[in-house]
Amino acid sequence: MGGEISSEQAVRGAIQTHSKRVWRFGLALSGASDVADDLLQSTCLRALERHHQVTSYDRLDSWLMTICRSIWLNEVRARSVRKAQALSVTPEAELISHETDSETNIFAAEVFTQVMQLPEAQRETVTLVFVEGYSYREAAALLEVPIGTIMSRLSNARQKLKTVMQHEAADAVRRSGK
Amino acid sequence: MKFSDETLLAYLEGNLDEAEARAVESAVEDNPELEQRLMALDSFAPLVQAVFERLPAQDPKIDLPEPEPHTQPAVGGLRLLAVAASVAVVAVSATFWATRPQPMGWAEQAAIYQSLYVPDTIAALDTSSEALAAQFTLAEEQLGRSLNREALEALPGMELKRAQVLSFKGKPLIQVVFADAQGQPFAFCVIRQGEGAPNKDVKEAVLSGLATATWAQDGYGYMLIGSSGQSDLSGQLDFLTENFAS
Repeated sequence: MGGEISSEQAVRGAIQTHSKRVWRFGLALSGASDVADDLLQSTCLRALERHHQVTSYDRLDSWLMTICRSIWLNEVRARSVRKAQALSVTPEAELISHETDSETNIFAAEVFTQVMQLPEAQRETVTLVFVEGYSYREAAALLEVPIGTIMSRLSNARQKLKTVMQHEAADAVRRSGK
Repeated sequence: MKFSDETLLAYLEGNLDEAEARAVESAVEDNPELEQRLMALDSFAPLVQAVFERLPAQDPKIDLPEPEPHTQPAVGGLRLLAVAASVAVVAVSATFWATRPQPMGWAEQAAIYQSLYVPDTIAALDTSSEALAAQFTLAEEQLGRSLNREALEALPGMELKRAQVLSFKGKPLIQVVFADAQGQPFAFCVIRQGEGAPNKDVKEAVLSGLATATWAQDGYGYMLIGSSGQSDLSGQLDFLTENFAS
């Protein structure tokens, strides 16, 4: 069939479509936006080098995430650990936009900080499931852990996020009661 | 084992004891439907997503090399090498793809979409006869068959609200949405699966927290979706299977 796209075109297309998603995953892994930039760039180059390995164009997003994570674990993490420990200086102020009203923004900044302060395993799981919408079993396959582990990581994360969410709910009730 | 929405919510809020929580987790392992229900009930996900979706504000910058020019296939010894290499690649990819989860079917996707509907989604729709006529013309054209609007307008206990053209993996998927007496959204979906698709008897299941019934006949798949996991579909189901699968 002449109309079929090549695996290289498919990978280039996937990179365009999923760049923000890979960047966010890089941010969740590393806790730093400059490391996320580097991780995204390396992931895309590596994916392009390996386009011949692609046999199905169905889930190239998971494939890109897997590459990103393996680069993080094998090549970047060791030298970024010090940076990740200094998470309190993550520039959330610059990451969270200031276009919306300030109460929403304060809440967004709080949620962002809470998520970024989770342990790495919970952080990557929360990003995949809550933010990117992967199912538990998809996240389990991607992170190579049992589904039960994914679920208990999410439970632990929920417990830690509960406080900030409850504040928001209380605020919302208060605001609507005005 | 069946879990009620209350139990699943208690799990998500961390209010089950250790043993009950493990029971939910191990049930999810072999039950993707339960997994979808649990995920749909999780109120943390949309909040966290709303915050992180705004990042990064602009498309991140990526430097990629120019695309490779198309090369002629390798010949002779090189071709042998290429065969050996592709065998290795197939082995690796086979492992990768064998461990990946099953892609979702149209019914699961339709249920997820429908689970986002609330009474307000359909309250203000233009249900004039002209609007519906235009929607049905478009839908029937896509589907390549009649949707029998008169029959759908007579669906017991339901008010016809809209017919919408959707698509699943390149196949036309029509969603006809109704409001029940309380204004709750119900949907009837039809997908063209093509000649040779197997006929299937009516199967009821709760998908994404909604009661559903699916069946297939003569190259078309059908699905009725209620407004909650407890919706009683029997009245509409008899009517629809009579009109759409005989």
